[in-house]
Amino acid sequence: MKDLFVLFQKEWRENTRNFKILWIPLVFIFFGVSEPLTSYYLPQILEAVGNLPEGAVFSLPDFTPAQVIMATMGQYQFIGMLVLVLGFAGTISNERKNGTGTLLYVRPISYFSYFLSKWKVIGIIALVSAWLGLITTWYYTELLFGNVAAADFFAFAGTYSVWILFVVTIVVAISAWLPTGGAAAVSLLLVLGLQIIDSLLGAYWTISPWKLAIYATQWLTGSPDTTDFWWSIAVTLLAIVALMIFGVWMSKRNASKTKV
Amino acid sequence: MTAILEAVNLTKIYASERAVNEVSFSLIEGTSTALIGPNGSGKTTTLSMLAGLLQPTEGMISFNGEKHADVRMHIGFLPQYPQFFSWLTALEFTEMAARLSGMDSRSAKVEAQKTLEFVGLGEALRKKTGTFSGGMKQRLGLAQAIVHKPKLLLLDEPVSALDPVGRREIMNLLKSLQQNMTILYSTHILNDAEEMTNQLLFLRKGQLVEQGSLGDVKAKYDSPRYRVEFSSAQDALTFAARAPWKVRYEGAFAFIDLNNELPEMKDVLGYLATSGLSVRKAERQTASLEEIFMKVAGQQ
Repeated sequence: MKDLFVLFQKEWRENTRNFKILWIPLVFIFFGVSEPLTSYYLPQILEAVGNLPEGAVFSLPDFTPAQVIMATMGQYQFIGMLVLVLGFAGTISNERKNGTGTLLYVRPISYFSYFLSKWKVIGIIALVSAWLGLITTWYYTELLFGNVAAADFFAFAGTYSVWILFVVTIVVAISAWLPTGGAAAVSLLLVLGLQIIDSLLGAYWTISPWKLAIYATQWLTGSPDTTDFWWSIAVTLLAIVALMIFGVWMSKRNASKTKV
Repeated sequence: MTAILEAVNLTKIYASERAVNEVSFSLIEGTSTALIGPNGSGKTTTLSMLAGLLQPTEGMISFNGEKHADVRMHIGFLPQYPQFFSWLTALEFTEMAARLSGMDSRSAKVEAQKTLEFVGLGEALRKKTGTFSGGMKQRLGLAQAIVHKPKLLLLDEPVSALDPVGRREIMNLLKSLQQNMTILYSTHILNDAEEMTNQLLFLRKGQLVEQGSLGDVKAKYDSPRYRVEFSSAQDALTFAARAPWKVRYEGAFAFIDLNNELPEMKDVLGYLATSGLSVRKAERQTASLEEIFMKVAGQQ
């Protein structure tokens, strides 16, 4: 397992030196700040730029603290996922394409370590980004809208973390399988496309990784159905393991496609 | 005389095309072997299979008598165009390479630095590889291939992309490595092969068409002849027309191919002396390496 440490160090250096370790958390923090602020100042913003006719009065619904946090998560579900997929879709496929992988693959590395080193570093970046963003949003929500219980928040963020790990596993595994362009497309389809399908047709089933985000938000207002929730968690963890096995196998099988 | 590596009926088929076809050879420990052939003859594919990057479609490779060994433990591999992580420094990369090949972190650091100094990158240890020139990349590629002291060094066209100075330096480095390692390297430049190696493997269209020592191959394809240089093409033409031997001419040069009833040099000189033609130079020639290459590459 020594190679795991060496490869992890290499991955870490890459993401430090290309500043992904900086800008990806910043994206999440940005939405963590901007959602509560724009929700709070919406009336003033509308007044200032809205060009409303003289004397027009219209009332905006008051946001609950839970709704504000949900709105931030809504941004993560689209833009955050886009950043994760596009930011890392090439993590393995690019090393094959530009030939940098060759000098790794001719060494006695295990492909399990190779895959895991990438999964860990990307997982850390994604989780830290999401948590930093959500805590920021929690802070501003407390400040501007009202109290969200810590237990509720941690249940929410914990559940959402499982979803984030699921997405990270998809991205790395698909990158092991396909060239970068195809990997990005398939990952987007799996992360964003299936989310839409699940929300359109999802009334017919209750256990699915794509429902985790919704179950996560339910912790803020009450609690999700226990059976559905735990089954979804179990299915997701199982899917993560399956995807990792698939990814390790594909890394090995596709190593011969590296540019020599 | 133990074989460090043995390949038997090595075959690689890409979409029904036989890139490498039933190639068998063995590498004797301590020798240097040149893998020669025109572009597209399967040199890189063969090396990739030996390096463990490609699975042979058929055939097998054994290393030190072991049939299914993870050869990656024992080899150093330099691809034709080595690519490095541009955000790592030369030292970081070489150290990583050493550690991935099983060295502990302290000796990896020491050996990485030593090796980089050996290949002439002592000044650039802490420069990012992204800023390296072609020659520097080739040196770094060599460094990562030898840092873990492999038993077998596989090099794909190690000097083809270099200028004459860089090429000379790399050749000298390789020569000094010959004492400690078994080397197999591909090239399409026979002069390099002649300088460094005693063994030749000649590939053509995926098939091993010739193998053996350089001397044997040269003797087999040699075509000795006399070359006479005249001061004008007219004289060469006259000589070709009148001489009692079969003569080819090319500009101001005339060639007499030597065969079984080869004329002796003194006969040729005697004829020339009385012919009244203006001769500049007459000499006996052997086939150049380029000619041998063309012959082997073009044979049926």
